[in-house]
Amino acid sequence: MSFFIQGIGAVTPLGPTSLETWSALCGGQHAPGTRFAKALADRSYFSCRVPGKFAACAARQPRLRRSGTISLLAAAAGSDAFADAGLKLDSGAGEGMAVVFAICSGGINYTRRFYDEIVTQGANCASPLLFPETVHNAAASHMAALLGVNAESYTLVGDSSVGLGAIHFAIELLTMQPRLDRCLVVGTEEVDWLLADAFASWRMATDLDHFEVYGLTNGTIFGEGAAAVLLGRTGSLMIADSSPGLPFRSLKESKSAAREMFGQLRTEGLPEILVSSANGTFADEVERKVFSEIYPAVPVYAPKPALGEALGASALLQVAVAGLALRHQQLPGTVRAGSKLASINRETRSLSSSRALVTCVGFNHQVNALKLYLTPSK
Amino acid sequence: MQDTARVNRVLVTGLGVISPLGPDTRANLRALLAGKDAVAAVEMFDVTKTRCKTAGQIPDVWLEHAFPPGRVSARLHRGARMAALALREARETASGAEPELMIVGTTAGGMSYGELFYRCLLASKSRKGFARLVGNYTPQKPVQDALELNGLRIPTQIVTNACSSGANAIGHGFELVRHGLRSCLVCGGYEPLCELVFVGFDSLQAATAEKIRPFDFNRTGLVLGEGAAFLILESERSATNRGAVALAEIAGYGVSTDTYHLTQPNPSGIGPKLAMQRALESGAIPAEAIDYVNAHGTATIFNDATEGAAISELCGNVPTSSTKSMMGHALGAAGALEAAFCVLALRDQFLPPNINFVKPDPAWKFEVVANQSRAGRVNYALSNSIGFGGTNATLILKQV
Repeated sequence: MSFFIQGIGAVTPLGPTSLETWSALCGGQHAPGTRFAKALADRSYFSCRVPGKFAACAARQPRLRRSGTISLLAAAAGSDAFADAGLKLDSGAGEGMAVVFAICSGGINYTRRFYDEIVTQGANCASPLLFPETVHNAAASHMAALLGVNAESYTLVGDSSVGLGAIHFAIELLTMQPRLDRCLVVGTEEVDWLLADAFASWRMATDLDHFEVYGLTNGTIFGEGAAAVLLGRTGSLMIADSSPGLPFRSLKESKSAAREMFGQLRTEGLPEILVSSANGTFADEVERKVFSEIYPAVPVYAPKPALGEALGASALLQVAVAGLALRHQQLPGTVRAGSKLASINRETRSLSSSRALVTCVGFNHQVNALKLYLTPSK
Repeated sequence: MQDTARVNRVLVTGLGVISPLGPDTRANLRALLAGKDAVAAVEMFDVTKTRCKTAGQIPDVWLEHAFPPGRVSARLHRGARMAALALREARETASGAEPELMIVGTTAGGMSYGELFYRCLLASKSRKGFARLVGNYTPQKPVQDALELNGLRIPTQIVTNACSSGANAIGHGFELVRHGLRSCLVCGGYEPLCELVFVGFDSLQAATAEKIRPFDFNRTGLVLGEGAAFLILESERSATNRGAVALAEIAGYGVSTDTYHLTQPNPSGIGPKLAMQRALESGAIPAEAIDYVNAHGTATIFNDATEGAAISELCGNVPTSSTKSMMGHALGAAGALEAAFCVLALRDQFLPPNINFVKPDPAWKFEVVANQSRAGRVNYALSNSIGFGGTNATLILKQV
């Protein structure tokens, strides 16, 4: 049984659609790091924000009137994936469809505001309008409502690798439920000063306005956005292999886990491009070592320096980029690439490739990989 | 409808439970039989400004003494301790089982560490201890800790479908084994109580200042609970090959998404009804065969009205109880805990009670197992879970 990506959607700091994002990435653009306006302490961070107008069409949906940024971004990306597949997103689209969401921090803006009301004003002053949007599956629920899905709707939570796990989960659903024609997989993330400060205390976030990959590991900058892939039973972009991922408990173990995960997907031919999760943290070194050992000559593209580390959305953004690279036979150049990985792709170039490997090393001890093949249309 | 002849039987060969009713399966069974009320005044955070002031809580002493003191133990979130204890018991029960995958439901995970981080952030310029809080607050970290404490290194899938998360985790595990994609896995849920969620339900006026009275005519709302439960699921072949003793069988699973509103079910009851119908169809089980319903039964006006209508319509006068009446609503773990209670009801042939029940609601046909457990013939038990976001899940378990 084979499954294919029929539509690719994204809303990112670089564009309101996957194609506009793709064009910007190939043009060597990167999202500007903008300073958070509101801080809870005397520490300042940058982030890669999505302009509000990019999700404006989603905000006009009555169901999303009170929803947080995370849900608006998800709806915009889902809508884009539908459009990319030549389908219309409406309440009748959900027949024979499942929805699987990948999230990491969830609706952190509303969560912070709600808890702040508890702490600063008292529990009796906490707004009942905010709380429902803090629930992790709120974005998936809104998406299901927009599509008219009345069966499977799942939200998976994890670190920045969770998007690959969500695709695997969706493939499990499609494999087991013949009545499902399609599954929309969405990863979504919003940013907040609180998130940056939390990760900075963990030495994972930088206070600079940019970060380098495969070079200095000063920490990352958080980005927001959403990416969606519409999976179905026909098409040309085939998910050749996927996995729920592997855990690791130490840096040493992370390399063996990555070696096992990235290497086990070599069985049906070497990948011709690698789309990595490098983000200016320890993850870079794990991927660098394993790539150098297993795929020393395969060009590597790392999208995060251009888009920011979008956690719950990031793995699906990587998959979107890999799919677009195969579809357009072009590989963007990695912006702000350091000198530690010889195979990093520095300039946008043409491809003649049909196999891509997407790799993730998550901050919360998960590695995962997904193999994508461009096949004759089925 | 599934072609049940072509799919694997899925057996429950291991079970681990920790809840306010008791630190292990045996203690939970005793409490279910006795109709214990484990809901008490909240001690973990300030409730002077909330309407609701009670919850089902696991005493810290059950969690602290379970692991040797040390560097790892010091950083563990209490959710990790709950999950680790339930996982340990499940593996001991299923002696020799080798799960390939862990599927876990939760909603808030280690959120209380996030709350502490925020309070420290507002109160102090020092960042001492922040890394420990940030590193351990995510929903996935307690799961990884539980695996590590049990010497397991297997992939995990963490489902966060609000209050149906635990049932969804077991249901997805059931489907994987049933369709031959996995032969043995561990699935369930964990949920530690936290202030943010407690106040959230209070702000929605879904929580009650009184006793939780599911399906009572004068019900006034829910109280929260906490806990963890894990089931080891195995294909019949895997269990037979290693001579495992089955505790029960998972026979059906159904889901539905009710898109009526983010926090309110469609008043028609179509959400739970569809999930129940699909679970019955998936196992080719007639509704009349159901001997006991472990209802979601949160005791909110809306939940019980819609779920009650669905149970009445599909299962008639079936004996029904909500075990949340005894321990509160454990959210992401509720579906797993209640599936575990169904396993016990099937194994020991009894009906768990719905305590605090005073006045029947004439709107429904089903029989509430009022206040006291009782012996009963239970061949099939159905367990409902209904969550925010309109996620509904139904599991059907069978006696072996």
